[in-house]
Amino acid sequence: MRDPKQLAARVSAARQAVEARGETFYPGASRIHLAAFPPKERWDDWVEVDARTPDRRERHYMLVPTTCFNCESACGLLAYVDRDGLEVRKLEGNPEHPGSRGRNCAKGPATLNQVTDPDRILAPLRRAGERGEGRWAAVSWDEALDDIAARIRRAITERRGNEVMYHVGRPGEDGFTERVLAAWGVDGHNSHTNICSSSGRAGYHYWMGFDRPSPDYASADVIVLVSAHLESGHYFNPHAQRIVEARQRGAKLIVLDVRLSNTASQADHWIAPQPGSEAAIFLAIAHHVIATGRHDRGFIERWWNWQEYMAVALGRPGASFAEFEAELATMWSRYTFEFAAREAGVDAAALRAIADVIAGAGTRLAAHVWRSAAAGNLGGWQVSRTLFLLNALLGAVACEGGTYPNGWNKFVPRPIHTPPHPHTWNELTWPVEYPLAMNELSFLLPHLVGDGRGALEVYFTRVYNPVWTNPDGFSWIEMLTDPAKIRLHVALTPTWNETAQYADYVLPMGVGSERHDLHSYETHDAQWLGFRQPVLRAARERLGAPVADTRQANPGEVWEENELWIELSWRIDPDGALGIRRHFESRERPGEKLGVDEYYRYIFEHSVPGLPARAAADGLAPLDFMRRHGAFEVRRGIGPVHAEAVPAAELDDAVTDALGRVFTRAPKPAPENIVPVPTPDGDADGRRRAGIAVDGRVVRGFPTPSGRLELWSRTLAEWGWPEYALPTYIESHVHPRALAADQLVLIPTFRVPVQVHTRSGNAKWLDEIAHTNPLWIHPRDAARIGVDTGGLVRVETEIGHFVVKAWVTEGIRPGVVACSHHMGRWKLAAAGDRGQRQVMATVSLDREAGREAGRDGARWTMRRQHGVAPYASADPDTRRIWWSDAGVHQNLTFPVHPDPISGMHCWHQAVRVRRAEPGDRHADIFVDTERSRAAYRAWLARTRPAHQVSPDGTRRPYWLLRPLKPAREVYALPGAPDRKP
Amino acid sequence: MSEALRALGVLIEPSCDQHAAIAEALELPPPPSADEHMAVLGLQLPPYGSIYLGAEGMVGGEARDRVAGLFRAAGLPSPCEPDSLSALCGALAALADTDRRTVAPAVDAGSVGLADPGDPAAREALADPTDPRRAVDARVRITRAALYWEHVASWMPPYLAAVRRIGTPFYVAWADTLDAVLAAEAEAVGPLQALPLHLRAAPAPDGSPAGLDALLGVLLAPVQLGAVVTRDDLARGAAALGLGLRAGERRFALRALLAQDAAGVLGWLAAEARRQAAVYGDRSEIARWWRGRAWRGAHWLDGLARDAADRTPAPPA
Repeated sequence: MRDPKQLAARVSAARQAVEARGETFYPGASRIHLAAFPPKERWDDWVEVDARTPDRRERHYMLVPTTCFNCESACGLLAYVDRDGLEVRKLEGNPEHPGSRGRNCAKGPATLNQVTDPDRILAPLRRAGERGEGRWAAVSWDEALDDIAARIRRAITERRGNEVMYHVGRPGEDGFTERVLAAWGVDGHNSHTNICSSSGRAGYHYWMGFDRPSPDYASADVIVLVSAHLESGHYFNPHAQRIVEARQRGAKLIVLDVRLSNTASQADHWIAPQPGSEAAIFLAIAHHVIATGRHDRGFIERWWNWQEYMAVALGRPGASFAEFEAELATMWSRYTFEFAAREAGVDAAALRAIADVIAGAGTRLAAHVWRSAAAGNLGGWQVSRTLFLLNALLGAVACEGGTYPNGWNKFVPRPIHTPPHPHTWNELTWPVEYPLAMNELSFLLPHLVGDGRGALEVYFTRVYNPVWTNPDGFSWIEMLTDPAKIRLHVALTPTWNETAQYADYVLPMGVGSERHDLHSYETHDAQWLGFRQPVLRAARERLGAPVADTRQANPGEVWEENELWIELSWRIDPDGALGIRRHFESRERPGEKLGVDEYYRYIFEHSVPGLPARAAADGLAPLDFMRRHGAFEVRRGIGPVHAEAVPAAELDDAVTDALGRVFTRAPKPAPENIVPVPTPDGDADGRRRAGIAVDGRVVRGFPTPSGRLELWSRTLAEWGWPEYALPTYIESHVHPRALAADQLVLIPTFRVPVQVHTRSGNAKWLDEIAHTNPLWIHPRDAARIGVDTGGLVRVETEIGHFVVKAWVTEGIRPGVVACSHHMGRWKLAAAGDRGQRQVMATVSLDREAGREAGRDGARWTMRRQHGVAPYASADPDTRRIWWSDAGVHQNLTFPVHPDPISGMHCWHQAVRVRRAEPGDRHADIFVDTERSRAAYRAWLARTRPAHQVSPDGTRRPYWLLRPLKPAREVYALPGAPDRKP
Repeated sequence: MSEALRALGVLIEPSCDQHAAIAEALELPPPPSADEHMAVLGLQLPPYGSIYLGAEGMVGGEARDRVAGLFRAAGLPSPCEPDSLSALCGALAALADTDRRTVAPAVDAGSVGLADPGDPAAREALADPTDPRRAVDARVRITRAALYWEHVASWMPPYLAAVRRIGTPFYVAWADTLDAVLAAEAEAVGPLQALPLHLRAAPAPDGSPAGLDALLGVLLAPVQLGAVVTRDDLARGAAALGLGLRAGERRFALRALLAQDAAGVLGWLAAEARRQAAVYGDRSEIARWWRGRAWRGAHWLDGLARDAADRTPAPPA
């Protein structure tokens, strides 16, 4: 036997030789890590024995990567395309993906169910009867697109461009469609974010400019999660696997969750606070950190805007850091553990214990709140703001084990065309009452239209289902069935949903393995790019059969959006006279239509640093590399960007103001990464902000008005909310003082781990696992009401009620009930087979007659005709459906609750829960939309509109992020004095 | 050296195409078929430390928790199966790759602490807030040494002896190579400071067991008996004694053998323990411990065999 060192050298040499060929030497994690991945050099012809044949028949697969489309995590998938017949047989994790690292949650592999779903929509349909009548006729893509394009063209040429609106759920891509709308020159982007994460974002935005965190979980010593994040959070899989790694390493997990969720069950410390009290807890912890001297003084002195606070808020310019520290010592002194304990209804000792754990984390504190408490409560944005305060106090910001701004851990490449910002402002999405709203007031659309503020010529719902997902769905139905308000409704969707039932056109879109997108998300301290692609198209091309139109490869006539938008844009502006077409033209073939191959080829060859060289090392063109690998890590170890020195070349004629902000006349270099970044103002002489002065150096700082982490927000102070300019605690609308003696708090925001709103409804595996949503209720409350598990209760909200089964459990605190928002899918009886029959109940919908003859009233009832049942289809599994319950659509009974600052719908409800009345049936719904209107007006009255509070005559602070940001001149308030914005 | 360790670890995972190149680089015979892998490592000698170090002789338990605890204490992600020999070899290789003495021998070994965390110099290095690099280096060295001595070297004498005893040519060659590479690794990590806790804490066989189940528990727990009893060993013993071997897992088969001829089986096991002790050698303190434990086990079995013979009724005249 050779000497061991010689053997090791032989192995190293063999490994280098194999890996130099781009092949796999070590087979990778196998059963040791409960995972096995086919080596990538064999992805063209991977052989497996078919588990369903007794004779060990071999199946030959081509493995084609893509990106999951079921949530925003953008995890990598690997489609197993059967080379015989070119069908997708299964989807597993893509080991080449830097974020998900070959792992998936249940929703990823279930993409296969969505591909083979017997109820999916395979061809374009046009309404044949009244809206909601359930009568449809086949229509060609050409007919549909010509009609839609003509209407959009007319709206644009008649200067009604803002009557074109695109309402999106989770985009699943980074900016493509926003650029389409910008090319059309319309301010028509309408995201779902104000029913989702706006308040979570706002708290981060006011601190660091970026509106979401990127916790470095894997390296953290202490992890704080507000919600069931580990189990079912927004970035469930990429984040959960890193949280698990940290826990294996010994990190402590602290979870604040009113329910004993799966996440809470894994926690070292679980706190179940009174909903809405979370900010009080964090302020008590912050005060404890300060009082015990465990804050990072050096970090605070360098990176907080304490000088601005002292100078502007307290009128003490030139104050020293020691003077600020004296202020800091008492800033939150009223938030004692005893106070927080009273608000939260938990032991002060438990809060003190977690405070010491957090204080001991030093810079290795990773924390996250996304929906949950932030999304549930009036003032919920202070939950994320006070949570990030803990990171800021400990210096656990943009460092190993800390929490980064998301924009530094994400990569968005520059596309082939970049249309200008639209020169228009849409009052239906950005009404004047909400100048600080983080996102569009999407869920108020029926009320804003009802106010007479506008109507829509063409309304796209794109893989989004506002009737079901939004609160107050009956108001949506009232709007969608009124042709004077919505003149044309186009539902772009892979599958039937509650909203599509009321559409004029239903156009079939591809699922995750049937469309192109680029997608990047913050999962750790790195920047990566995921490539979603139609896998059958890629497979055919790999076999030498070029595909010019994804419909040629997708099932039926299912299309993808990229090609759809390009085609529609050409039809809107066929001769280029509107200046739209040029944004969708080929550069390789001037004057011709841009194709998706060229679109991505351009990006991968010109806009992704390192990709061309990496691809060349494998002997591939960049596009071919991405088609084969599905993802690319652009950089890792980004580190503290705020501390990076600004190059001298960027400091032409630089001046530094009293707050240490450095302005320059040097033009801004074009960034490689066009991830959205806030745009703080320059100086009065026209210089742009280049950075801030710290320790005698000019460094990048943070994209906030002060350039630093903003303890005190001048924006909030100047835009009408000075009382909230510091991180503070706002009593929720469901604070115990706001409740009647017989009211409970309803938590309607939590998820089940395997479902994701409408999008996963057409996945039979997921439906079998989770298909109902009983009401969690504590035994004490159940005993008072007189109900047992399975018994029916009536839950009364401000505008109506729903009937639901009780689940009596000690897994929720007394005084609070909870019902998951993922269930309660329904289809109208008139829809017949057109619906997701695996998960939708069939209902009757009745609207009482109005007081005036011929007019409809406002009182709606929904009653289940029958639940889910087995049925015959192309999929034999549909005959094996054993469940009938589809849950309750509780969101219908919620009025709109827009937070007056963030604009976020405050989901939690003050409810009365009582035993169901005789005649009540499971899933019954009653709503009075007149009461919905009253609730809308009541919450509107809480606002401080821009024309009352704007300090500079604009509608909104320009520096704040905004999807599809319009040109600066339209920020001016109509009729405002002519002041420079 | 780390590359050889990593490669040897990979080769005990289920066979796949890549194994051929790895085996060739290690100058080993062609890798085994899936059936051969299952026959040797799946059914007879699962490569999990807890089987050979745990008082229960089964996968999991405190023995596995200890190694998982080391990963946690060292700030490393614990593998899903932390006591798998494949994972252990991979972790040792990774630590060797990050140990600056390995990758940059010019670094003064004396400046980065010693392998024994109880050593004052090591403690000082770990606690030195002014020199994080020194603390990290010390942590790597301590972890590498602890992982090697406590959780790998601690069970290699009986395990590798068993592989050589019942293995196919590939596995015999693999065991010889691993033995040599681990010996070289021992030189890199520094000398054993104290007998591994698994061995110090291992209960020794003593007195009369509380029943047949308790007896079987000792016989099938290598760290108690000092010997590894595989299915092949039982077949060999049954053949030697002229007994019928019932098909089934080891506990079932051994129970059946004892029912047929308790004294004979116990006596054969005592002899087997001595045979295994003879091959452990005395190359290290750990090997000597295993040898001593096997002798003690054999002596204990002798007593049980005598008792069993006394209880056995004399054959009818």
